[in-house]
Order: sequence, then structure tokens, then C-alpha cells
Amino acid sequence: MKFIVSSSYLLKQLQILGGVINNSNTLPILDNFLFELSPGKLNVSASDLETTMSAVLDVDTDSDGSIAVPARLLLDTLKTFPEQPLTFVVEDNNTIEISSNHGKYALAYADGAEFPKAVELSDPSSTSMIGDVLATAIGKTIFATGNDDLRPVMSGVFFQFSQEGLTFVSTDAHKLVKYQRNDLEASQVAEFIMPKKPLNLLKGILAGSETEVTIEYNESNAKFSFENTELICRLIDGKYPNYEAVIPKENPNKLSIDRTQFLNSVRRVSIFSNKTTHQIRLKIAGAELNISAEDIDYSNKAEERLSCDYQGDDMQIGFNSRFLTEMLNNLNSDEVSLEMSLPNRAGILMPVDGLDEGEQITMLVMPVMLNN
Amino acid sequence: MNKTVLHLDLDTFYVSVERLIDSKLQDRPLLVGGISDRGVVAACSYETRSYGIHSGMPMKMAKELCPEATVIKGNAGTYSKYSDMVTEIIKEKVPVFEKSSIDEFYADLSGMDKFFGCYSYASELRKTVIEETGLPISFGLSINKVVSKVATNEAKPNNQMKIDYGHEKPFLAPLSIKKIPMIGDKTYQTLRNLGLKKVKTIQDMPVDMMRGVLGVNGVTIWKRANGIDNTPVIPFSERKSISTERTFDKDTIDVVRLKSILVAMTENLAYQLRRGNKLTACIAVKIRYSDFNTYTRQLKIPYTSADHILIPKILDLFRTLYNKRLLVRLIGIRFSHLVGGNYQINLFEDTEEALNLYNALDTIRNRYGDRSVIRASAMGAKTIGRMHNPFNGQPPVVLAHRKQ
Repeated sequence: MKFIVSSSYLLKQLQILGGVINNSNTLPILDNFLFELSPGKLNVSASDLETTMSAVLDVDTDSDGSIAVPARLLLDTLKTFPEQPLTFVVEDNNTIEISSNHGKYALAYADGAEFPKAVELSDPSSTSMIGDVLATAIGKTIFATGNDDLRPVMSGVFFQFSQEGLTFVSTDAHKLVKYQRNDLEASQVAEFIMPKKPLNLLKGILAGSETEVTIEYNESNAKFSFENTELICRLIDGKYPNYEAVIPKENPNKLSIDRTQFLNSVRRVSIFSNKTTHQIRLKIAGAELNISAEDIDYSNKAEERLSCDYQGDDMQIGFNSRFLTEMLNNLNSDEVSLEMSLPNRAGILMPVDGLDEGEQITMLVMPVMLNN
Repeated sequence: MNKTVLHLDLDTFYVSVERLIDSKLQDRPLLVGGISDRGVVAACSYETRSYGIHSGMPMKMAKELCPEATVIKGNAGTYSKYSDMVTEIIKEKVPVFEKSSIDEFYADLSGMDKFFGCYSYASELRKTVIEETGLPISFGLSINKVVSKVATNEAKPNNQMKIDYGHEKPFLAPLSIKKIPMIGDKTYQTLRNLGLKKVKTIQDMPVDMMRGVLGVNGVTIWKRANGIDNTPVIPFSERKSISTERTFDKDTIDVVRLKSILVAMTENLAYQLRRGNKLTACIAVKIRYSDFNTYTRQLKIPYTSADHILIPKILDLFRTLYNKRLLVRLIGIRFSHLVGGNYQINLFEDTEEALNLYNALDTIRNRYGDRSVIRASAMGAKTIGRMHNPFNGQPPVVLAHRKQ
């Protein structure tokens, strides 16, 4: 078994796949890349049992076979090479020998048959979208996912596909993001919850990419394929909370404000808030928004006034400033609107401008109870 | 520059307050403390001390030793009121003070010598307190907290003492080692077994030998014996935790009752948190069985101050902790890892009705007291509840003999 490949081409692909591999694995074989060779093609896979990603590379070969190569060792070596052809030769004594312009290196390999097989999707439904659109949808939602082990469904992003459009939802029970695309559609109505890790990988690979991504899915797995790459992952099992029910319908108090100005004020004021709870207070009266925070333990205090566009009753509402900054940061409009009803009901944050055709973003943030 | 630290201590504080309220108790043996069989003496008048009574002793034993003594249950609220009166006077007169317990104060008088003369100033302060409140008070004046405290104890009752700069060691030398704060019954026994009796002996010992016997504490004791203490006078004490506990008159195995008490305790402490704009991230349950074995179990939780989250968690902890099928002597709960903040509302678990209900309950409690409205399941526990805001910067109201 022997093949010749360009070092930088191989490194680029392996670095993408390497994101799947966990730092510590219970199964030692998962520290390896699976190399499956067939004439002219090399199929490389990496897996953490939940997610498997593979890529097909064009290489110069006429042999076939399958071996598992230590990932860390290989990546560390490849990183040091300038662009050059590398020859991989599998020796009989369970080592693979790499020859470069500089010399020779031998790595112990394991039998490819030991590597866990990727699941086959039976009876899948499918849809497709542009890579960058998917990356944007992930980027808009993933920051709002939770980390609570007791509520695994909230640690992922909820995909809702239908003929009318695609919806992506994430929440950690304190904040919620709903990202809708009305210009795209799926062949069938489907709902599933994608775990965070593969989404982060996809976001990294697909940002700015114009390639078409095909998404296939069934009850338990989803497969994303684009160009020469394929990612198959297990879905999070469980029922996603009924998020529609918690979005307040009647919001008579509407605030409209410049996003950067609002974000900067919240950031500045929150420096003076309690270091653990990051709590700030918004007071809105007339056309003035008053943002204040206090850390009683250290006698730190801040207050800012902003002019804004406000329709509704004067009100006071408390928020965790972390949530507000994360959300405002994630938007890229010039102006945002914050719709509220009562100090103990969710505030709805929406961009006023800067959206693509068919794109819709709704962000919910739960307040903290204020003692008056 | 040398520091000047004043230590003020109200003599037999609870007894003095009771005598102030009822002058018939003057000059008669008087005991304040729990009056049930389980009760302990919280304070005793000087008349009773000749019978061998001291605070912390079981009330039953004290009554046997001195049957003619008047026993009073005492009222923490009244004592706090008098303590606050004294605090007000001291606050007005000194630059920096620390209230270390209900009847003890430290004040830093450093630098005042030049203008007033620390000793005469302190004497005047003492006179003012006695005149305005009618409570006997003693003080000790020296260069640090430990020596001043020892001096106060030597000066008592109702007197004052000054230890001049440089005379700390000779002052401490002839005293019993028991007089050093930190040496309790246990350490005293350990040191007595080594043949130590007077502070002088500790002063003459090398510090390493003390470290060998008692570890880090040995070093602190050695320093204290030599009159060395650098702890500052801290004007404001931030509460690190709030807790409550209950010893039963009779050991119980009635789980329903225990749970009801835990619910009452949780409800009350959670209200204290909300009133003080605090959240807790660590809750603990404590059980003492009739064989005096004490167990605690704690749990880290996300920051909260909501009853409906805390109560089930406390009961869960209790379920895992109470596994002995033994009679229970004491139960208690504690909230720690406190931070300032308010409850973060949950999108899916909190309904508006529940939140409004909590708000309404708290409003009623703010107005009519913390026991005015409670859960029905907690109604069995009659006397759980505290009158005072635990977050006012003052030390917790602890019975005089209890360790904080």
C-alpha cells in the first residue's frame, strides 16, 4: 500500500477533520485518522463516536487498503513541512513510512478494521442550502444554547424544516434565539436537535462558502455533505420545549435604539455590576433610557443616559448584562428594537434593518426579578 | 507608629439588660438561657458564678447548682435593641470600630493620642455608655486586639484597664494560658499535658515547638502569648452565609415534622435572601443524631433565591442525609456562596402567576413580618424565623457562649 500526496493539501484537509477528535478518548482507536485507499482516491475519516467526518482526497496511487494513523503525530509532522510531495508507504512491520525531501519518518499504525464504522442513514429526508447561509444560521443561534447536563435538549440547536421555510432555535431557558429563513424550503416537515460540536465544525468550515450543502436526516442522525466532505452526527434525543408558547404576544412597550450605542453603554455600565450576577437595570421614561448597575460589595456604581425612541408606559426592568451584550453583539443591524410588556416578562430584541431577504431574527431575554 | 486598639465588652450583657428592664432582679442570682431540659445557660450574673455556673453549661445542671436563681428565657430582639443603642454611641465617638458580637466592640484609636489621650478618651466613652444606657461596660486598651481583649477580661466586672506600650509580655506572663483567646477546653488540656500552665512558659518556648504540637494554630497561640497580633479592626462584616438550626426538646424520628421544619427554614432563609437582594449557590443540610454524631451534606446549585427551587433541593439533601433510622437531636440548613443579585427568571419553568405570587408574599412579609404568611406545610414549625435583616453589616446574633 503506497500513495503520494501534496503535504499542504493533506494538512489542510486533516486540520479540518482533526476538529472532530476529542483530546481524551476512552477508545484509543479514536485518536487516529482512518485512511481508506482506493485507486486514485484517499478517504480520510475522524470520529468521536457521536460525530464522524470524512473527506475524499485525490492522491497518486494504484493500491487499496485501510489503516488507522495516529492523528496528533501526523498533524504535528505535517505542520512543519513546506509544500512538497510526500510518499506514504505501508511497511509489513505495522509501521507506515513517510518520505519527504528531508528524510524518512515511521509511524505505528492500527488496523483500519478496528475503526468504528460510520452509521448509514436509512430512509432519509433531505434539503439543501448555500454553505454560508447555514453557517450564518448556526452563528446566530449557537451562542444561546445551554450547558446544563440535566437538560441535554437545550445544549443543541433546534432545526425546524417545512415547506414554508426553515427555522433554527436555541435557548438556555434564560435567553432564546429564533432564526427564520422564509426563502428556503425543505421537502418534508421535520424537526431535530443538532448537538453543538458538529455545528461549530460546520460553522468554521462553511463560513463565507458558496458551495451547496445537502442535509439528509432521519429520526436519529443527520448528514451534511458538501464538496468532498461528509459529516454524519447523532442527533440529540428528546423533546424540544414549546418555545412558541413563551414568546409574549402582546408587547405594548416598544423601545427603538442605536445598536452600537446601546451595546457600548451596556458594556461600560456592566463593568460596575456584580462580578457574578452581571445585573443591570434599565429605566425607561419618555424618550430617555437610563442604564445603571451597582456592586454593593465594592461600592461600585455606574449610570448612563441614552436618548431613544420609546412608546409605552414608564418602566423599570433588570437584565443580566451578559445576555444583552451577547445578543447585541450577535446582531449586525444599525438599529434594534426591544419590546417589553412587564418587568417579569421576556423582552424581545429584534434588528430593525440589515436583514437579508427572507431572513428574520427574534431574540428573547428573560429579566431578573427586581425588588422595588 | 504604634497602634492603639480599644476593646469594649458589655458585662453579663443579657443579665444587665434584664436587670435594667426589671430592677427587682438587681443583686439576685440570675440565669438567662433556654428553659427547657435541653437549654443551656447563655448568660449568668456574677452572683451565680460562685456556685460554679458558667455560660454554656446545661440549664438543668445550673439549676441544681443554684436552685434559688431566677431563670429567664431571654429575648434576642430586646438584646439587639440595647446592643444597637450602645453601637450608636460608639459609632459617634470613634473613627473606626468593629462590632464583633452582640456585646463586644473593637475600636481603632491610633493617632488620637496627640489630641485627646486615648486612655482618658476611652474612659469618657465608657462613662457615656454607662450614663446613657445604664449598662455596665468594661474596656481594655493596648496596641492590638488580642491584648486588649485579655485586658478587658482582666478588668471585668465594670472596670477598665490600660496596657502601656512595651508592657504586653509582662502583663500576659503571669496569667493562666486559658486566658488567651483561642485556647478552649481541648487545647488547654493538650497544653496542660505538656506541663504548661502560665503564659510565661509559652513565651519562653521556641515557636517551632508550638508548631510541632499544634500546627499552624500553635504559631498563632505563640504569637498571641507574646502579645503579637496584627489583625486589623474591620468596620463592616460581610455575611458569607446564612443559616438556621433547631435543637429539639425531645429527640424525634417524626420525618413529617422534620420536613415541615426544613420547609419553614428554607422558606424563611430564602425570604431573607430576597430581602437582602442576595442569591445563593451552595445549600447544606445538617443533622445531629441522638448519639451526637453530626452530618452535613452540601450541594452546589446555580445562583437562585427562589423557594420552588430551594425547597425540593433541601428536601432531596435531607433524604440522602437522613439514612440512619436514629432519633434526631438537631437539624439545620445553611445557604452560602452568597452574591448580590436577584432571581433570573426562567423562560419555561416560571409562570407569571407564580412570580406575582412570590412578589405578593414578600410584600406582605415586608409589611407584617416574616412569619405573617407561610406555606401550610411549614406551619407545624412555630418558632422558625428571625427578626433581623442578616445583611445589615452587623454580626449575627449569637448566644454569648457560642462559637461563631
